[in-house]
Amino acid sequence: MSEVRFHGRGGQGVVTTSKILANAFARTGQFGASFPMLGFERRGAPVTAFGRFSDKPVREKTQIYNPDIIVVLDPSQRSSDAVFQGLLPGGMMLLNDSDNTMNVSHENLKRLGIIDANKIALEEIGLSIPNTVIVGAFARMSGLLEIEPCCDALQDYFSGKKLSANIVCAKRGFEEVELFDL
Amino acid sequence: MKPKTQDKTKPGSQIEVITGNAAAAIGAKLARPDVVAAYPITPQTEIIEQISKFHADGEMDCELITVEGENSAMNAVTAACLAGGRVFTASSSWGLVFMYDAILATAGARAPVVMVNVNRETPGIIAVSCGQQDMISTRDAGWIFLIAEDCQEILDLVLQAYRLAEDYDIQVPVMVHYDGFYLSYLSEGVNVPFQEDADRFLSVLNDQPQRTKLVPGGKLGCGTHGILGGYLELRYKHVSAMERSKAKFEEIDKEFQEIFGRSYGGQIEEYRMDDADVVLVGSGSMCGTIKAVIDEKRDAGVKVGLLKIRMYRPFPGEVMVAALKGKKAIGVVDRSLCFGFKGGPIYTELKAFETQLGGSKMMSFIDGIANTDITKANVEQMIDLTCDLAEGKDVREVTWVSYPEAQEPDSEKPDSEKRGGL
Amino acid sequence: MTEKKKGKLTKVLDYLKHEDPFSKGVAFCPGCGLELLLRFIPQVLGNDIVITGTPSCSAPVLLGQNNQSWHTLSYFGTLMTGAAANATGLARYYRKAGIKNTVVCFNGDGTAADIGFGNLSGAAERNEPFIYICYDNEGYMNTGIQKSGTTPYGATTTTTPLGSASKGKNLRRMNLGLKMAMHKIPYAATATLSDLEDLAKKLLKAKEAKERGFAFLHIFAPCTTGWGYAPENTIEVCRRAVKTNYFPLWEAVNGKIRMTKTVKKPQPVSTYTELIKKFAHLNEADLQILQDDIDYEYCMLGGLSVLEGECQLPVSSED
Repeated sequence: MSEVRFHGRGGQGVVTTSKILANAFARTGQFGASFPMLGFERRGAPVTAFGRFSDKPVREKTQIYNPDIIVVLDPSQRSSDAVFQGLLPGGMMLLNDSDNTMNVSHENLKRLGIIDANKIALEEIGLSIPNTVIVGAFARMSGLLEIEPCCDALQDYFSGKKLSANIVCAKRGFEEVELFDL
Repeated sequence: MKPKTQDKTKPGSQIEVITGNAAAAIGAKLARPDVVAAYPITPQTEIIEQISKFHADGEMDCELITVEGENSAMNAVTAACLAGGRVFTASSSWGLVFMYDAILATAGARAPVVMVNVNRETPGIIAVSCGQQDMISTRDAGWIFLIAEDCQEILDLVLQAYRLAEDYDIQVPVMVHYDGFYLSYLSEGVNVPFQEDADRFLSVLNDQPQRTKLVPGGKLGCGTHGILGGYLELRYKHVSAMERSKAKFEEIDKEFQEIFGRSYGGQIEEYRMDDADVVLVGSGSMCGTIKAVIDEKRDAGVKVGLLKIRMYRPFPGEVMVAALKGKKAIGVVDRSLCFGFKGGPIYTELKAFETQLGGSKMMSFIDGIANTDITKANVEQMIDLTCDLAEGKDVREVTWVSYPEAQEPDSEKPDSEKRGGL
Repeated sequence: MTEKKKGKLTKVLDYLKHEDPFSKGVAFCPGCGLELLLRFIPQVLGNDIVITGTPSCSAPVLLGQNNQSWHTLSYFGTLMTGAAANATGLARYYRKAGIKNTVVCFNGDGTAADIGFGNLSGAAERNEPFIYICYDNEGYMNTGIQKSGTTPYGATTTTTPLGSASKGKNLRRMNLGLKMAMHKIPYAATATLSDLEDLAKKLLKAKEAKERGFAFLHIFAPCTTGWGYAPENTIEVCRRAVKTNYFPLWEAVNGKIRMTKTVKKPQPVSTYTELIKKFAHLNEADLQILQDDIDYEYCMLGGLSVLEGECQLPVSSED
């Protein structure tokens, strides 16, 4: 089972990112479970979400304290202690940032993916909502998913032009994420 | 919501990755209610948004009443129900207690209302967070209470709730509870039944005698004064119906399995109980985590099991005694408080069966209130303490797992005498 | 009961086309305004109404005991807090099931104006398809005469008693009827027992209007026991309430108000209060406050009365 923790802010689609990934895993015959932990829903407020992805049914209903992977949608949190808290040895981090210099470090971090998801989203859907780009980048970086189930999963959340634009977002995330192995 | 991946192994359903709230809304939709009334409240809101969308898209042919408050939601569905309709509403916490007088009236009128309550802490201290205190605050209302562990069970229990509530021999309202936040917003794969199978499952209700209905010109009243013997008669019949509902729920679980291939065990679910020496008793979303920890403990040689309460009212005393009798020690996990007692509510109630349990020792764990996470480490601690109790070690009767301050030696002194005072 | 005559109905008896569904002797005080009203409604609207009531003066008779009842109507005894929501549930289910219905949600002023006003307002805003009738006896009479939101200035009740620091209720009453008319519902009206034809017409209009949504009747129903007047004076109290403009008769269609009875030379409020013990302690200055309130409300009504002639119910956009 891979345990993933998502960090972002209200309005960035943090929760949707975790839902789409759970959906994509289900489409491969595996199991995904994700949930956010938030109080009042407000734009701009910090949001944390948790995802568990496994080949067996996920039973745990707790928050994630020792993630295998951390996904950071909000660049301002790239160096936050809270983001790295509990990261397991061999851990991965996916970072949404226009700054692709590899200046992030943590003793347990083994792989880092950086993608300028806001820019891609702005180009493809006209809004700086990075979530679907992140979905594609996550698939590539983690190696846990192909891009196809991710694109299929998008059908449950978008339709029409928005769907096709977001599929492009996911594919570009998959292709354009820069990977650094540490 | 469009059809998703076909699950070939489970005929009659399709897998959708949905939240607990969506599962509740879909469960309600599959039951084809005549009247739905609801008012938004975190963390329930998504249910009524989803139902409103179903209604707007013509997928749900019901009268949708967007009331001005929860009290009206319960009054409206109760009346619609007694007029002969199938009804649904959903609430949580502050909303649930705002409809409290109506909840009592619904039960007193034996209106087979089905509702969902998304567990959240109640007023007193503002806490937009998970906890079963709302369930405890309404437990003596005369409703049947069911508790779900995951998104699948939410959907399944909503459907089963209609079979139970509207059964001619029962006719008692049913409330399906599930944890706010931890389940309401949890997205996971759910086998969503096909409409025809849901219809088949519920069709039994069409073949039974018609319940009494309030119809225009029918020269029939409801909500009369109950005086002396008349009052006692109605109350006795109500209590008896609640007792009957225990066996009925087990029957319904079996029939559900025949159609949908899923069974939960009825009033309680036993997990690795057969040879267990120590047992945790829990309910709701915590049970998934407890099962995962039990598996790890079993690998380490600890003989521990879980008794999951699925039906909380009526209290499943008989089956609990049968399952727990002879166990060395029982740790009861409550996600709520029982003011006036030190231990949690379920612990306090299970204590009433102490003699029948034949010497099993018992202890109370309070955890998970106000969104505090019932972590795997917490569960491990509870299992370890219950093992200590089994071995005769000196352990506290009540442990606030996430509040170690409660375990300090002077925790029972007046606040003014404590270190640091108030 | 009288057979329907051809042509225009002119006499009040002509409106009483149905049986009185109540027993001859029921548990109301002699001279009770509520009883007269309660017997009148089904005789006009029909015995196939579903009537709902709450704990109140109407409860002993309307709600029955155990399996016994004082009447043959379909009824629902519900909560003061949610009476309008309860009626909503009935009316909505009947609509869904295609069952022809007239749901009459029958409540005192305590339910309508005070504890149940929120859900009354909500039902009106949603334009729920039923008739809400408030019988206004200006207080909580069943519990032993306490003040409510419609208790008028100066009236004594057991919670606004006379004392060295009190001359009865020191606040003016709310105008429940106008508040409801301002919901712009298909039909709202005031009525009372001295003008039975007016009342009967309004009941029938309400029945017609509820096909389009919410209908509200605010009915002045004096209480001989709680107010302190002779039982035989109930109708006279109503008559004087109208003649002094203490309780003007009007109706409102979609919020547009018109008077159904205009008093040419309104009498001073003292001709009304002199019959009633709850006002007996008021001096001229106190009565003037009451008079000013009456004049103010009547002036407001006048300003709002923009419709002329017989009010026609508008055709719903759904038709």
